[in-house]
Amino acid sequence: MELHVWGEAFGLPSIDPECLAAISYMGHVVPQKDWSVVASNDVSVSPDYVLPALHHDGIWTSGYLSIVQYLAAHTSFSSADGDLTEAQRADALAYASYLSSRGSALLSFFLYVSPSAWTELTRPAYSSLLRFPLTWTVPLKLRSAAIAKTEHLGLDHLAADIDPEDGSSESKATAPLTATGFLRLPTRPSVSDSMQPEQAAAIRLQSLLEDFFLTLDELRGNDTYFFGDVKPTSLDFLAFGYLRLLRVRTPHPFVERCMSRNPAGSRLIKFLDTLQTEVIQWKDGQIQGTLPWTQPASQSLVNMTSRFADDATEHIPGVGDSWKSWRGDGVKDSGEMRDPTQVLLAIGAAVAGLAAVGGAVVFKALSPFGGATHRWEAPKSGLYQFGDIGAIFNSLPGFDAPVTPASIPSPMERDTVYQGEKVEVAVDVEP
Amino acid sequence: MHAQAPAAPHRTTPRSSWFTIPEPLRLVFKQFPLVTYAPNELPIRSPSNRELPVLYVFASDQDALKGLPSYNPLCLKWQTFLKLAGVQFRIAPSSNHASPTGALPFLIPASSPTDAASQTPIPSNKLERYALERGSEKLADTAGSKLDAYQALVDNRIRNAWLYALYLSPGNYALLSELYVEPCSASTVVRTTIMHKLRRAAETEVLRSIGAPRVPPTALYIGAEQAFEALSAALGSDKWFFGSSRPGLFDAAVFAYTHLLLDDRLEWIDTRLRDSLLKFPALVEHREKLLSRCWGYENE
Repeated sequence: MELHVWGEAFGLPSIDPECLAAISYMGHVVPQKDWSVVASNDVSVSPDYVLPALHHDGIWTSGYLSIVQYLAAHTSFSSADGDLTEAQRADALAYASYLSSRGSALLSFFLYVSPSAWTELTRPAYSSLLRFPLTWTVPLKLRSAAIAKTEHLGLDHLAADIDPEDGSSESKATAPLTATGFLRLPTRPSVSDSMQPEQAAAIRLQSLLEDFFLTLDELRGNDTYFFGDVKPTSLDFLAFGYLRLLRVRTPHPFVERCMSRNPAGSRLIKFLDTLQTEVIQWKDGQIQGTLPWTQPASQSLVNMTSRFADDATEHIPGVGDSWKSWRGDGVKDSGEMRDPTQVLLAIGAAVAGLAAVGGAVVFKALSPFGGATHRWEAPKSGLYQFGDIGAIFNSLPGFDAPVTPASIPSPMERDTVYQGEKVEVAVDVEP
Repeated sequence: MHAQAPAAPHRTTPRSSWFTIPEPLRLVFKQFPLVTYAPNELPIRSPSNRELPVLYVFASDQDALKGLPSYNPLCLKWQTFLKLAGVQFRIAPSSNHASPTGALPFLIPASSPTDAASQTPIPSNKLERYALERGSEKLADTAGSKLDAYQALVDNRIRNAWLYALYLSPGNYALLSELYVEPCSASTVVRTTIMHKLRRAAETEVLRSIGAPRVPPTALYIGAEQAFEALSAALGSDKWFFGSSRPGLFDAAVFAYTHLLLDDRLEWIDTRLRDSLLKFPALVEHREKLLSRCWGYENE
């Protein structure tokens, strides 16, 4: 049984909350000899394009909840959710839904949208997970998805002035020129200008975080785990995945601060510590030793190049959408026929795109319009007359250029275009 | 100084002031006497009665006059909630382009001649407070923390399946066209464009919510059925959600979907989502109770 996940980062086994939850859950439920973790870092291994993905007897299951259900239904390992009542199951599903919408939006903001965390933490983490050309495309795709996720929290505008290419936010003071090329007078920074985006968002973010902690904490009440004191359930591991990643130390650790100050948050910290010390198989600092890691199948160069080209094609304006649709993205049955007009449209768009690129290249290569094709050269004197060899010897000492009076025509054809009383304009025309 | 000196005597003689019309112009105006027409009547759809607040929703003109439920889940949620809160209001058909936030519903409070700010539209995220302030009924306390979690269930799983069922499922093209496309325009070209845009927007929304580049529709339906199961279990044998004695905001949110799925006036062809819902009689009963409470006189 193989569990495919996003690889380790920040000292945790996975950079993704659901992968982290799945690793922790499998470690709790399945004996170590029966499963292995593969840090494949490639969503395309699973047919649903989602990690974590479980590969068992040729069947792929992806997403944390589906994996938990699959393990309960199709394997002999005892499920952690077996003793729940119907109402508790309902709660578990609702809270899982809450975690994967609100929790993942908060986490997206915290690790991906926040410019300092992205440049100093998350992007370097992805760079160490992915191989070379993919580090150009995959993290950017993940980040734009994260920005879209935070939209309904009203925090996405903070990413607007951040250059998505390198994540560095363009500071207002360092742009010395306006668009028209004039010097920009230094503007006196107001309070909101001088705040980091994280600080500006902190006020709104804090209330969102407190709501989030309170909601989770109220379900748990005074129990050790979400449902009772006896044993953890799948929801405990999912909450662990999200909360543990929220506690990652970033340049602006506002979540950690908010969590320890808030009473519900500090109870959740205790819950995390209990889970980490008593239940979870992997230990901080010894991730390699405590989990059944397996090396992912090494990717061929062709495979990598095609992934890179695939990602790059998505970004070609006008073509990207047709390409994604043709590749099978979207909400549709896998058996649904590919629409022939879509194919034509995609091919047409691809041809048009290539033609546009080709046209641009040809256009750049053309000389400026209206300019005649003349070539001007310095008159050849001295040993330059004897071609390249002469040019080499000309620089040698002792071979000073022989005095050639201007009146003596050079070996080239000579054409007098203007002759006044004292001025003579001559043009050398190369045959 | 030179310019002002000759102007002074002009002001003293009214005969040639700035306000007398020059003779040639006066002749022209005499040729074409000015006629004042009676003022145009206001359009029929313009509000005739500003005493009541107006909720702008997706609805057909006839339904809006009768105050029937809107066919958009979000609009229906707030329409139901305002009714539950005991707010007296009218509904008016509208579209996203008319809304200050870009999304329906929004509410324009009753006009009062003394208060200019009374005509400021209230977007949907502030409607709850408005209803609690103005409503006559005391509603269930909505601060419960489980509400947030179950709301996430409705807003993700059920909404995604709803978006697929109405916007993307090929069986329900006719219904989508009847509800959202045909009222917009009579031109085929415009209709095709709107249809395409609506479906693309719905697909983007589902994919963003799931967080995967491709999603099989069966997964959405299974997710929604699990959500219905959880809702049914949470409702249990209670009359309203969370053991409350009165229906509240969450009841309205669930009703908005269950009513539209079970409403006979909407002709679903792809009935997979409706069939999943019918497996849970507690939810069907909940919908009927809320329907008769809010629209009792309609329900035969």
